[in-house]
Amino acid sequence: MSDFATRTTESGVVVVQPTGRLNMTASPSLRKQLSNIVEGGKNRIVVDLSTTDFIDSSGLGALIASLKVAREAGGDLCIAAPSPQVCTVLELSNLDQLLRTCDSEDSAFDE
Amino acid sequence: MSEHVLEVQTGPDTLAEIQRTLELAWAEDDVPEYTKMCMELAVSEIATNIIAYSADGKPVRLRMAVDVRRDSVGVTFTDDGHPKPIDLGQLSMPDEIAESGRGLALAHRVLDELSYWRDPQGNHWTLHRRRPE
Repeated sequence: MSDFATRTTESGVVVVQPTGRLNMTASPSLRKQLSNIVEGGKNRIVVDLSTTDFIDSSGLGALIASLKVAREAGGDLCIAAPSPQVCTVLELSNLDQLLRTCDSEDSAFDE
Repeated sequence: MSEHVLEVQTGPDTLAEIQRTLELAWAEDDVPEYTKMCMELAVSEIATNIIAYSADGKPVRLRMAVDVRRDSVGVTFTDDGHPKPIDLGQLSMPDEIAESGRGLALAHRVLDELSYWRDPQGNHWTLHRRRPE
C-alpha cells in the first residue's frame, strides 16, 4: 500500500492524512509510515483525520504506537479533525485524553 | 426484515467485502446512523479477530449473515478455524498506552449481546443490537 499524503508546516510539524478506513488492512502501513517519519528526524506529528471515514482498535493501536515512538524521540503526536465516529471510538476506549485533538496544525505543540 | 449473506475464504479483501455486505443491508432499511456505526465497529472487531487468530492468520472459511429487523440488527459469523480460549465475561479495556487488546471489549461495549460458541462446524459469533424506538 502506498503512503498516505503528508505535508510539513512552516514550524516543522509533519501532517499525515490517512484516507478511508483505518482498520487491520490500512493500520500497519500508517504505523510504518509514522515510524519512518520519526526515524527521519521529525518528531512532531499531526494525524489529520478529516478524510478518515472509520477507525477501529487496529487504527487506535497504530496511533498509540506512533505516539509512543514520537515521545521517545522527544516529540509528540496529536490528531486533527476527527469525525464523530472517531470521537465515539476514542471515548469508548477511554483514549480521548491520550490522543489529544489539536485545533490547528501550526500551533499543535505550542506550550 | 432482510438477510444478507457473505461466504468467503478470508484474505486481504475480506474486511472490505464485509463492509460492502453491511452497506447492502443498510440500503434496504432506514437503520439509524448510530446503530449502523456501532454495528460496523463491532463487526470490524470480530472479523479482525477471526481473520487474525482463527487460523493464526491463515485463510479460513467464513460465513457472515446480516439480519436487519424492525427492532434490531443481528450479525452472525461462522468460521472453520481452531477453537478460541475466550471468556466474554472477563472483557475489559487495557491500559491507555497499550497498543492492542481493545477489540473484543469495544465490540462488547457497543452491542446488546455478544456471544461465542464452538461446535463441530467451527466457531460461531452472534452480535446483536437493538434499534431505538
